[in-house]
Amino acid sequence: MRMPSHAAGTARAVAAKSKVTDDAGGTAALPQRGRKWAVWTFKYGILGLGAVIMILPFADMLIGALRTPAERLARPPVYWPAVPQWHNFVRAFTDLPMVAWLTNSVIVTGAITVVQLATSALAGFALAKYRFRGRDLILRFVLVAQIFPFFLFIIPMFFILRYWPFAGGNDWLGQGGTGLLDSYFALILPFAVSWYGVFLMRQFMMTVPDELLDAARIDGASEFGLFWRIALPLVRPGMVTLGLLVWIYHWNEVIWTMTVTRAAPELQTVTVGIQLLRSEFFDERNQSLQQAALAVSVLPVIVLFLCLQRFYVRGLSMGSLKG
Amino acid sequence: MPPLSLIPAKMLTQRTAPYLFLVPVLLFGLVFFALPLAASLYLSFTSWNSLVSPRWIGLANYEHLFTRDPLFLKTLLNTLVFTVGVVGIGVPASLLLAGVFSRSRYQALWRSIYSLPMVTNVVAVGFIWWFVLADPWGVLNRLLALIGIAGPAWLNDPSTAMIAVVMVFVWMHLGQNMLLFSAGLGAIDESLHEAARIDGASETRIFWSITLPLLRPTILFVLITSVITAISYFALILVLTEGGPVNSTNVTALYIYGMAFTDLRLGRASAAAYVLLVVIFLVSLLQLRVLRRGGVEAY
Repeated sequence: MRMPSHAAGTARAVAAKSKVTDDAGGTAALPQRGRKWAVWTFKYGILGLGAVIMILPFADMLIGALRTPAERLARPPVYWPAVPQWHNFVRAFTDLPMVAWLTNSVIVTGAITVVQLATSALAGFALAKYRFRGRDLILRFVLVAQIFPFFLFIIPMFFILRYWPFAGGNDWLGQGGTGLLDSYFALILPFAVSWYGVFLMRQFMMTVPDELLDAARIDGASEFGLFWRIALPLVRPGMVTLGLLVWIYHWNEVIWTMTVTRAAPELQTVTVGIQLLRSEFFDERNQSLQQAALAVSVLPVIVLFLCLQRFYVRGLSMGSLKG
Repeated sequence: MPPLSLIPAKMLTQRTAPYLFLVPVLLFGLVFFALPLAASLYLSFTSWNSLVSPRWIGLANYEHLFTRDPLFLKTLLNTLVFTVGVVGIGVPASLLLAGVFSRSRYQALWRSIYSLPMVTNVVAVGFIWWFVLADPWGVLNRLLALIGIAGPAWLNDPSTAMIAVVMVFVWMHLGQNMLLFSAGLGAIDESLHEAARIDGASETRIFWSITLPLLRPTILFVLITSVITAISYFALILVLTEGGPVNSTNVTALYIYGMAFTDLRLGRASAAAYVLLVVIFLVSLLQLRVLRRGGVEAY
């Protein structure tokens, strides 16, 4: 996958909306008007039907979260709760270790986001704004590395952390202890760099004008100063985009966290927490509480996304049109 | 000034700066990319249960997988069915939605609604759908009963479990692909459509002869990422069915995970992971070959 270097067109492409239909004037002949109505019905029929399918499972979860155990146990179960049991949401915090789960989620996701932003911005700046030996090689590697699926890394990465020298009681050969497995590092370190993030930040850094950097050099700015004081402020929207993508991805991550925290329940995040309730999900008395817990795990990301969605969409399309 | 001011300014010249800026990424690439790949390649030629040292057994793992492990072959077949299902349904559906979405009003509203599944964590997605599908009083079967259809026990019946898993996976990724396609559609110059219309081309003709060829880079990207995700992503199936009933939804990636962390057959699991990687490479190359024809130079 080779990619061209200009990134600027993408954002415009997203902003531009096709301005066809809908304003064709009101004096159309009758058959044409009928046809227009058919198109309109088809268009919003499909969008509306899809929207219902998107929302229905969420609505089902919220309605379920408001039932009493008796309503769930009835045969057939009562679908609409007579009195909405809002305290099920309170119980998700009092009866389950929800606070600890959310705290872990915030710590891990926050740390990964900050570290990835730093490594991606630095590397992206180097790859976009310097000419040096090996640059094209590194760039090509960054693109190819994205194709390798994560399942390939689960087994070796687990044992790399397990045999990490001088950590968790290990000697210099990595023997004798548990390595990094019992610490937050196990959840953060394997995601300190994302190849996609490096690539995305490089695209954003391409938009920083060289003249600006050269002018600052003449004024005596250090190379790191160029990055910190000139490039970084200019790519702030790009940082928000990447930060949001990383936050959502890692808040929702479950396979790796589950694998690592099996022996360390105190590190469990909210997604792993609700996954571990699995066996209890089948007990119908608890289902309302479980559904409330699911809603709690989902809500922070949805709120964040709805506030910042224009950045998210830009990140998505940037990876595709130029990837 | 923060972090790097620890490095003496003399060392950070225009020549050395890019290398220093790349140090974290290169170190990471070594420890968390190259080393894992090399380690699991080595492990794939050994027998290892993590308790005693790995024992070199040559190609025996690969041989076992292909000749003495019918379940492995079944999971490969399941992976194929699953991938064809989610790509065959999901990609055309998201293209259709993108077509109507990019010509509609209230785009912010539609975008928010269609984005909900893709920002929801997979455990929640799995359980939300489990409640919709699982028991006879799940909301889907209640709705089907309204129009007089007795719905199956979606997740407990080997003949419908795969359909259910494909459905949920498509639901989860529909919005993402729709947004990608609508960005691609937005990049097409509208004057091309106008010109064709003036020349008297029908809308169907315009779609096949103008829109679709110009959309090819986006189609290629969505297809390749969808196929890779479908082959390698097993979290949803883990939550929804754990591969059951009777392995009817057991895909290779999930099988590998169980082989490694439940059965502790780490050598064989590494071999299986490499087999799946080769499959992914071959399929991606094939797609590039087929879709590249006709001058998608961007890729």
